[in-house]
Amino acid sequence: MDSIEKSIIEGDLQDRAISKYQSDLGVTYTNIVKFTNFKTQSGYEFKEIEISYQTLGKLSPAKDNAVLICHALSGDAHVAGINPKTGRPGWWDLHVGPGKAIDTDKFFVICSNVIGGCAGSTGPASINPETGKPYATDFPPITIQDMVNAQVRLIDYLGISKLLAVVGGSMGGMQGLVWAVEYPERVHACVPIATTMAHNAMQIAFNEIGRQAIMTDPNWYGGYYYDKNASPRHGLAIARMIGHVTYLSEYAMYLKFGRKKQRPPMPDDLFPDFFAVESYLQHQGESFVKRFDPNSYLYITKALDCFDLISERPPEEVFKNVKAHFLVISFESDWLYPPSQSKELVKCLKRCKVQTTYLNLGTPYGHDSFLIKNPEFSHALNHFLNAEYKNFQREKSKTV
Amino acid sequence: MRKNLYDHVIDWIPEQSSVLDLGTGDGEFLERLIKTRKVRGEGVEKNPQLVTRCIERGLVVHQGDVLDGLDQYGNDSFDYVLLLGTMQELLDPEKVIKESLRVGKYIIVSYSNFAHLKARLQMMFLGRAPVTSSLPAPWYKTPNLHFCSIVDFENFCNDIGVKIVKSAYFNKNREIKIFPNLFAEYALSMLTTLNRAGEINNP
Repeated sequence: MDSIEKSIIEGDLQDRAISKYQSDLGVTYTNIVKFTNFKTQSGYEFKEIEISYQTLGKLSPAKDNAVLICHALSGDAHVAGINPKTGRPGWWDLHVGPGKAIDTDKFFVICSNVIGGCAGSTGPASINPETGKPYATDFPPITIQDMVNAQVRLIDYLGISKLLAVVGGSMGGMQGLVWAVEYPERVHACVPIATTMAHNAMQIAFNEIGRQAIMTDPNWYGGYYYDKNASPRHGLAIARMIGHVTYLSEYAMYLKFGRKKQRPPMPDDLFPDFFAVESYLQHQGESFVKRFDPNSYLYITKALDCFDLISERPPEEVFKNVKAHFLVISFESDWLYPPSQSKELVKCLKRCKVQTTYLNLGTPYGHDSFLIKNPEFSHALNHFLNAEYKNFQREKSKTV
Repeated sequence: MRKNLYDHVIDWIPEQSSVLDLGTGDGEFLERLIKTRKVRGEGVEKNPQLVTRCIERGLVVHQGDVLDGLDQYGNDSFDYVLLLGTMQELLDPEKVIKESLRVGKYIIVSYSNFAHLKARLQMMFLGRAPVTSSLPAPWYKTPNLHFCSIVDFENFCNDIGVKIVKSAYFNKNREIKIFPNLFAEYALSMLTTLNRAGEINNP
């Protein structure tokens, strides 16, 4: 039991082989739905896009219990339950399931892979019907707004007029913000976690290092590597290694690795000391390239960097129509999306008279704090959703 | 006394008004106020565990210290700002009171009276910093940074240009009506800015 706990604390469920992990949901599946005529913010018109999505739990007859979960950079639609293809649990299985923070016995949970992604939804690796070949870098730039617009189509398709809540961490939180600002009539509550209204120079800088690692890999071929024998795996692995460091904290790395050596020196070693942290990062990089498309990494990180909710407008104008109730959560040890960015968001919301609760947790695991086992976090999320569910039902009964 | 004092606060707040509770703790009182007076209430609390308890109660709460909490709001966002039991723990009470009167029309503040008879007797006859039911912690453990008597506080309000609308005084069991600076362990006051003092219409 102890070792399971430990491996869970060690990080992202997707990138670890957790053989003993059992999901309360058992095996779950994703579906694919097609939408025609999808226009991106940049003006590109797709004749058809595919969106991969998962639903868990049952939609209530009043259709008032739908919770949309938005995934972060490397996530996918498989939010919880065991993925039959990989045998691994969904990326948020610790917080989504029967009796968990987002209770699937109570709520109808929806999660979809973002447009531009590589886990079932249309992205750079998808076939362009006009050429019969992968889009590669002919794929149009995508934005957080485009991701949300695709989710809106999905929610329409599922017959839901108003979501009880949109919940997401990091890039998922940005999507939540766009939902609340652009579709105020369709969201009752919003939970942005460890996120920001706009990337700062440091966040852009880390992403750019990742992009450069991919684009300077000789196997990138300007993005047209799909018909080649090799792909920029090496560049993507390095991008992931850099990313992973930014998701942890000094304390988390000290706990997990310290200065431990991975193995005794071997005769062929250039340097005798092989640290555990080096081995871990190499493993993270290697396992990531098996499931992620390098071009998707470029497109999605660029969407993150370009996101700017306020973009030089007065905040009052941006938030004037927002009706959602907010729970904003940040983590003290998160240096990639520091609490100061969440505080800035909270102040804008509150000054614009948006009902906002703010919680800054002392969890020491860095940006990844929302992905790991975290009872305080689960507790707050669970109670907020329960309270807002009651509010939402009360509001609905008033309008009927 | 606590019951008396908090009941008094509830009596002072008209129905349907808006209230910001600074140092709201686990939100028990704020929840009661919302239920009994149908106020629109929000809280500020710096301890994340207590913030989570407030969320459990379905309250709107901001995690942060008192000044950070106040900074989240525009001018005149609330009718009442509550500073119950926390004023003496604040580094800069003057700043907090002025900032509270920017965010709210009235402040309701409570504090412990350092000049209460028991405290005076301990000082006089034992020559020690007083430890009483209203000042329970020894000098090295008390969260209070500022000790004041009722007279001190009322002078302080005068000095910083804040009008005391009304006050009530208490000891452990009941309300104190005579010589409060000697017999009251706690004081409760409603404050407002001088320019607003004319337009008071409270129950």
